[in-house]
Amino acid sequence: MFLDSDLLMSALRALTPILLAALGGALCERAGVFNIGLEGMMLLGCFTSVATSWFTGSPWLGVLAAALAAAAYSLILAVGAVTLRGDAVVLGIAMNLLAVGLTSFLLRTVFGVQGTFDDPTLAGLPLVGGFTPLAYLAWAAVAVAALLLSRHVWGLRLRGVGEAPDAAATLGVSPAKYKYGAVLVSGVLCGLAGAQLALGNVTLFSENMTAGRGWIAVVAVMLGRAAPLGVLLAALLFGLAEAAGFRLQGVGLPQQATDAAPYVVTLAALFLSTARRRRRRTPTSGVAA
Amino acid sequence: MHRRHRRALRLAAATAILATAATACNAAAKNDTSASGKSGSGTSFTLVTPDAVGQNEFLKLAVTGIKEAAKAHDGTQKVYESTDTASQQQNVQAAVEAKPDVIVLVGFEFADLVAQQAKAHPKQRFLMIDACTTKTFANVGCAVFREHEGVYLAGAEAGLLSKSGKVGAVDVLDTPQFRRYSDPFAAGAEQVAAKTQTATRFVGGQSPFDDSARAKEQANSLLAKGTDQLMAAAAAGNYGVFEAAKAKGAFAYGVDVNQCPSAPGTVVDNVIKRTDVAVQKGIDAVLGGKAGTTVSYGLKEGGISLTGLEAGVDSSQCVIARHKDVLEKVKALRDQIVAGKLKVDDPAAS
Repeated sequence: MFLDSDLLMSALRALTPILLAALGGALCERAGVFNIGLEGMMLLGCFTSVATSWFTGSPWLGVLAAALAAAAYSLILAVGAVTLRGDAVVLGIAMNLLAVGLTSFLLRTVFGVQGTFDDPTLAGLPLVGGFTPLAYLAWAAVAVAALLLSRHVWGLRLRGVGEAPDAAATLGVSPAKYKYGAVLVSGVLCGLAGAQLALGNVTLFSENMTAGRGWIAVVAVMLGRAAPLGVLLAALLFGLAEAAGFRLQGVGLPQQATDAAPYVVTLAALFLSTARRRRRRTPTSGVAA
Repeated sequence: MHRRHRRALRLAAATAILATAATACNAAAKNDTSASGKSGSGTSFTLVTPDAVGQNEFLKLAVTGIKEAAKAHDGTQKVYESTDTASQQQNVQAAVEAKPDVIVLVGFEFADLVAQQAKAHPKQRFLMIDACTTKTFANVGCAVFREHEGVYLAGAEAGLLSKSGKVGAVDVLDTPQFRRYSDPFAAGAEQVAAKTQTATRFVGGQSPFDDSARAKEQANSLLAKGTDQLMAAAAAGNYGVFEAAKAKGAFAYGVDVNQCPSAPGTVVDNVIKRTDVAVQKGIDAVLGGKAGTTVSYGLKEGGISLTGLEAGVDSSQCVIARHKDVLEKVKALRDQIVAGKLKVDDPAAS
């Protein structure tokens, strides 16, 4: 039996951190801030959640601290890209690099270890029905974000700010305020994603433990066209492809081939979605965008 | 706006690849050169480590080894700790300039550096631990380990302890060198219980050595099939494997050092590398004029062992301490391997 509940559970566990980070990325995208610092904010969230849970004994304080720390960290992007009008891509990369160095440094100074901090008494998040409460929160956040963007005045203004900041400004909507809001919320969501990874998926911190999940979240934002439901589907696709990749090793496929599964699926999805879009656009073509 | 945005996406896709590559080199250059040892008149040794020693048990043993060697030869020793590629290079340079009798280097990271320096300084003697230069140099001695022998014994323990008759390994990457941690595990289990079913999962992914969440899922996929003994050879991912095993009430086996305290009651035993033994015996060999050769250390030389077979097993927090009967059988197997009556296949043999 290839498709069973274990596979689904494994896919959903892989999905949660990516989904949380990607939702944050999608909000930024809609507000016109291209956020590729998801990986770094997530990694900072991992460390903060583990450190706080360790010193206070409460994983919930760890979650809270992770959200706050990552939100504070996201200010680098907010101030740099919105107030100072710097390049968001450069800032995002800088944040990712800084986070790797910063967390490795803190791991050595705070815990005096290198590589991995792991202790049997480190308190992780409780499981409800096989998942952490953060996993349910991630699903709820998809619905909230979808409703907010399509129905609520904040969402409409956020989209307005992203699509036509000048027009929004003439209508009395402050683009800076909405962009700041979107970046800070993405920080909170990435902090939660990090806490989910370090106190939910596993209960430990190791250097660079996000291992590219933030980048996958960036791709999920692009693939899902920055729409919450689209992002959910893209993240689900990744989760399933990864979990299926593990299984494919079981039937004798080499690891190097199964590793490629999520990326092959992404390429295929990207290709299909653009091909369809282009076909739809063909009748009115002739005017370059 | 839309147009600018498009461009940003393309740029990001390119930089994404760059950045993932760049994050691998963490630029926290800290040249930690700690020197110790009294000024004896005898021989001098310098140990260069690829990382900070800190809590790294593997490197701590190397430091123990060089201290013991200095004591045995009534000499002095220095330890140069590296933190990244740049400081590795600086430390090797500094070590060569100080001209000690033997420079000891731990890890494959030094292979190219040693090859350069050995050529430039033919009178300087080097000892490489756990790796070797691709070309043979008359002034470079190498000490490598036969990990597969220890893994085979761990597999035998697993075969004896398994209730489901299914054992598996979570390995880092599918390469001959890493297969030394999975293939012999299966072979050892089959040796003691012929009907044992075996399986291996490789972590893989973007950073196979760091990704404990991924290693845990790989372990879960084995546990879901009823595997109850897991060899964990996934670097930082080992902790993920231990968590998965613990949650299902299964058992795991660690590598390199005693990992039992990180999951007491779950980790049965560990395949340990006695870097200290390799450093001491290696130095003796190099001083004895045996540079230019590669010596491998296995069960026979005491370079590879199991926590269960060493002194202090009772305080190791390892599950195997409660299974003296299993240990007796494993000891018998070890004696056969040491005596050359039983040969463990080496997946990395060329």
